[in-house]
Amino acid sequence: MGHQASEENRLTWVTSGFPVEIPVAMDLGVSYPEQYGAIVGSQKVGPEVCGYAEDIGYSQELCSYARVSIGSVENPDSSPMEGLPKPQALLAGNNICGTVLRWYDAISEQTGAPVFLLDTPPIEDKQPDHHKEYVLRGVDRLVEFLGTTFNKTLTEERMQEVADLSSKALGLWTKSLVACKTSPSPLNCADRFLAMGPVVSMRGTELIIDFYQGLWDEVEMRVKEGLGAIREEKIRLLWDNIPPWHSIFKFFNGLAKRGVVFPADTYTHAWSGQIEGDDLFDSVATMYSNVYLNKGLDAKIDKMCNMIKDYNLDGFVMFSVRSCKRYSLGQLVSKEIVTERTGVPGVVIEGDMVDSRVYNEAQIQTRVDALLEMFM
Amino acid sequence: MSKFGIGIDIGSTTAKGLLIDSDMKVCAKHIMLTGAAASQAIDKILEELESQSGLQLDNITIISTGYGRARVENAEKSVTEITCHSRGVHSLNPEIRLLIDVGGQDSKVIRIGKKGRPDDFELNDKCSAGTGRFLEVMARVLGITIDELGPLALQSDSPSSISSTCTVFAESEVIGHIGAGAKPDDIAAGIHESMSTKIVALAKRVKVVPPVCVTGGVALNPAFRHYLSKHLGTNLWIPEEPQLTGALGAAVIALNGKS
Repeated sequence: MGHQASEENRLTWVTSGFPVEIPVAMDLGVSYPEQYGAIVGSQKVGPEVCGYAEDIGYSQELCSYARVSIGSVENPDSSPMEGLPKPQALLAGNNICGTVLRWYDAISEQTGAPVFLLDTPPIEDKQPDHHKEYVLRGVDRLVEFLGTTFNKTLTEERMQEVADLSSKALGLWTKSLVACKTSPSPLNCADRFLAMGPVVSMRGTELIIDFYQGLWDEVEMRVKEGLGAIREEKIRLLWDNIPPWHSIFKFFNGLAKRGVVFPADTYTHAWSGQIEGDDLFDSVATMYSNVYLNKGLDAKIDKMCNMIKDYNLDGFVMFSVRSCKRYSLGQLVSKEIVTERTGVPGVVIEGDMVDSRVYNEAQIQTRVDALLEMFM
Repeated sequence: MSKFGIGIDIGSTTAKGLLIDSDMKVCAKHIMLTGAAASQAIDKILEELESQSGLQLDNITIISTGYGRARVENAEKSVTEITCHSRGVHSLNPEIRLLIDVGGQDSKVIRIGKKGRPDDFELNDKCSAGTGRFLEVMARVLGITIDELGPLALQSDSPSSISSTCTVFAESEVIGHIGAGAKPDDIAAGIHESMSTKIVALAKRVKVVPPVCVTGGVALNPAFRHYLSKHLGTNLWIPEEPQLTGALGAAVIALNGKS
């Protein structure tokens, strides 16, 4: 923990469910290995960059986001954008999965940057008081860690400012997502997966407010004018899990041509909530403990069932992501229960978000086609 | 409703074609190995259907299915094998609620709704265990033909234990049993028992609702039927030509104009 960063090097790497408002309020830069994974996947070089990690002994079963970031640190010259800028600290939140700790440990070994873990044990139902107190102590320790590492202090005024900006961006984002309840849906799945980038990585900054205001203005206009995201909306489906970044347009646009739209998904809705009230740290501890992936299977099933009802959906597609065990675990059971409770059919397709070596397009096509034939 | 309908099922191992009339009577049919060039198989099937029926096929609707369904250029549309098998079996026996199709390289379990459409389904297309390929590999290890494997297994009253359902590992286990001097019929029985338990696990994911039908080339294997029935705890209904139900379903859709 004794690492001291210079003023010029104030970059942290953070996980997607980390309370980024705190490093942002301490004027630290943040960079996201998971988003880098999405970029590598979209550029269709996942197998190559994952391969750099596999070359030094990491298993192909390891999370492909982890492999991509480890691989790009190992071999930056052959990785898109030459990898992410080098971190001076690694901030891991295990509210999204347990892999992040070992993954960030591996990056720490490669770069020498220290790791901070914000431990948020899973919650089955409501967050118990002792759980919140534990997470709050972690948040205090985080401020202390960043203070020591970067010689920075956190002021109440700056924290309030960042919390307000974060809440504003999340508010605009959530409003745009909820607007997809209308038919035709103003946004399709790929639209949301692309538009979520800033709210994941730049929450708490002024820069993104304009972007989400612009998004909301367009969504509002589309709803008002009945302008859907796709030409002729016939079937409305729910998407569960991270998308196959390497095939995102081919998959969703291909279905859009056949009148299939995805007005809702469990993934992009994961960034929601507000940091508010008299005690901002208390609000941070609540918000980041209650993220979708930190809850039990019942909560996930409830969320899917509610989405199917609220967004008036005809069925659902669950993407079983080989390298994201945390998100994919329990999908087979969930599928059965969701169908039982909502009466709509669903299908599980298998593949990976980045590593296209385990994505078999023909098999996925057959499963999705069979689901669509149930509606015809 | 058209007067005739053609269904073409381009499977991973075999290609099937069927021509039916509006009374659902089969006018012509053909089964052949798909081979490396699906287009040649398609041409051959159409040629056979034409010569057997004596009909001009130009004005007859063709629906294609199977993994090579997109290759049938003169098909009006392609429909998945899941829907086609479901429709085909329903046309033969409307009582069937669960269909288990075990093909050359995949297996599927389909819960059929009252109108003959699939209500739910599960596929095993990632692993060759639980498919016809598994039996082919095992027959080769035992030095017999695939047709001899089932009858041999039925002679056993003490199946060998084949714990793994991965084809590669199971092959090693079978070789181990041979080395240990186990009887070939017991090994063959163990192979079928192992495969059946794999299929039953898949079936349980969509719920086993009798009556159960088994289709696909593997349905012709009597030992597989025996062990599957035993592990499912129910009798099985097997169509006369279990390899043709996908093509039949496609032909039914061609006749009715609706999937």
